[in-house]
Amino acid sequence: MTSLHLLHLSRNAPSSPYLLSSFFSPFPLKTLNLKSKHTSPGPALCVLQWNRKPELAGPTPRVAVITSGKGGVGKTTTTANIGLSLARLGFSVIAVDADVGLRNLDLLLGLENRVNYTAIDVLNGDCRLDQALVRDKRWSNFQLLCISKPRSKLPLGFGGKALIWIVDSLKSGPSTPDFILIDCPAGIDAGFITAITPANEAILVTTPDITALRDADRVTGLLECDGIKDIKMIVNRVRTDLIRGEDMMSVLDVQEMLGLALLGVIPEDAEVIRSTNRGYPLVLNKPPTLAGLAFEQAAWRLVEQDSMKAVMIEEAPKKRGFFSFFGG
Amino acid sequence: MASTSVTSGLLRLRALSPNHRIGGRVVKIRGKLRFGCPNLKWGGGRSKLRFCVRAVEVSEGSGGKREKNAEEVERGVADGGGEIARFMGAISALPAVRLMKKSVSNNFAIGAFFAILIVVVAVREIAGKKQRYEQHGSVADLVKRGQIRSDRRSISGPLKYDDPFNNPLVKVSKSNSTVEMCGKVYRLAPVTLTEEEQSVHQKRRSRAYQWKRPTVFLKEGDPVPPDVDPDTIRWIPANHPFATTATEIDEDLAQNNVYQKEGIPFRIKAEHEALQRKLEALQNEQKLNKIAIDPNNVREFERPFKSFSKPQEQVDRNLSSNQPNGVAKAPESERVLDLAENSSAADE
Repeated sequence: MTSLHLLHLSRNAPSSPYLLSSFFSPFPLKTLNLKSKHTSPGPALCVLQWNRKPELAGPTPRVAVITSGKGGVGKTTTTANIGLSLARLGFSVIAVDADVGLRNLDLLLGLENRVNYTAIDVLNGDCRLDQALVRDKRWSNFQLLCISKPRSKLPLGFGGKALIWIVDSLKSGPSTPDFILIDCPAGIDAGFITAITPANEAILVTTPDITALRDADRVTGLLECDGIKDIKMIVNRVRTDLIRGEDMMSVLDVQEMLGLALLGVIPEDAEVIRSTNRGYPLVLNKPPTLAGLAFEQAAWRLVEQDSMKAVMIEEAPKKRGFFSFFGG
Repeated sequence: MASTSVTSGLLRLRALSPNHRIGGRVVKIRGKLRFGCPNLKWGGGRSKLRFCVRAVEVSEGSGGKREKNAEEVERGVADGGGEIARFMGAISALPAVRLMKKSVSNNFAIGAFFAILIVVVAVREIAGKKQRYEQHGSVADLVKRGQIRSDRRSISGPLKYDDPFNNPLVKVSKSNSTVEMCGKVYRLAPVTLTEEEQSVHQKRRSRAYQWKRPTVFLKEGDPVPPDVDPDTIRWIPANHPFATTATEIDEDLAQNNVYQKEGIPFRIKAEHEALQRKLEALQNEQKLNKIAIDPNNVREFERPFKSFSKPQEQVDRNLSSNQPNGVAKAPESERVLDLAENSSAADE
């Protein structure tokens, strides 16, 4: 009922999409044009449960590398959750696990038993590219491609080129994906160079601690040297209670140090570990968790090429009055 | 001073002074209840229960311990409405109550009784929990056996909520100053980063990090090729865990493999063709060997239904020669051969 009502509104009131997108998107005119393209009524739209859909900005496929420099900050978790969020929003997504030596994305997605072929097998001619893509059964518009098996070695002579070929091949396929997300390995070694080669934009994942920030700054510098200018950051594992007590850097402090636009702020959540254990990404949890919601919001902004305009700050608890003991 | 009143089984004890106490032995509940079959008198006939309450006032005012029997109430509940009496009787028949009567210190007995009771209950609970924990056949076992998917447990279907910015769990206030997420209210602080600041950071980084993407990967010890910028060389150690400079496959071939959309993959096809060639070579060798041995001699040693080496033309010729006269006229051995041929064809 809600979706029908809102669709009706969006069709009859041309000002409504402008108002909505102006709050979330810095490019209201562009989104307005895109919206006018997508307003063709169709029977499939009526069953959608979304009040509104994010407007895809930029040419497709959008090739984004998710990197950090430092290990253990949540690159793979971010890739899994943003990828599935995008799939839930109705976009076709291919997640590439470019972490050659230590791949984990398949584990996080619960697809580890379904990876038979990798990109190395495609290069060697053991299988075709479409055979190496593992389709997620939960969201069929999400596919996974692993670069290599844990014990195989990537020939670096054309490591970066191979990813470019793969992206080109996916572009020219029958169904071009909307997003190609590349999960980058930690460090700035050969794997990093391979992973960033085909990317047009980057999502930098960092945590609000000084070690991660130094690495993030270095990686941002390398990405900019390589010609990737569209870099947005996700600040992960934020604890608002520690920030309130000034034991942790605030998100605004992090932004001041790195000077990057914010794509999302993910609070620390014990559910992340549980979801990893289950192989069921956080954004699919029911009821949704705080971190899951934050990933959803970040995915939404990624689609619209938007960034955060405000950050959440935990307020000090109200002082309890004298009569609070009695419920006052 | 203590006052005691008994009204139809309802006993009230009222202490008037904190110095007064009621001794452990002063309240006596006595009853007779016989459960032996011949002597069972529960609910039938006249009950001989005796309910005796004795309140003792103890005063410690003048130094010496003085006990005074303040009141002794004895009442025999004899007639029909004796539900309470029966209950009292049941209580008095309990071994613990008997023990209380007999023991010197009733307080100690009651305390011990409750302590034992608590211990027994706790032990039973722990034992039960352990048993439940060890019990097999739960849904977890099905997950272990791979019969059901653990990730689908407690999740009925894929979740679809309306909007990550506006749903029952995320509510932005009308003034855009606060947001409520998962029941907790947060204040919204505006982002202060400007485009100028961003460009300043970019310039700082471009000064700090001079980097060229490596395009040439060399194994440590390899000579640097001419016309190659040394900044674009990446030196890879020989024992690198996942990177290698050695390539088994040609670059153009690898590219073709990636761009292949349909058909049999290159290596599978190549391996298949190689096997085919090997097989053909083997068959040729076998033919050569067969030529050396006289096939007629071989056929004599073979059983009739195994003689598949007989050429099809010959069989057809035999059939066509026998056809005008009917199948029944064919020799027995030939018919067996035909059946064997047909069955092999059906299997194929």
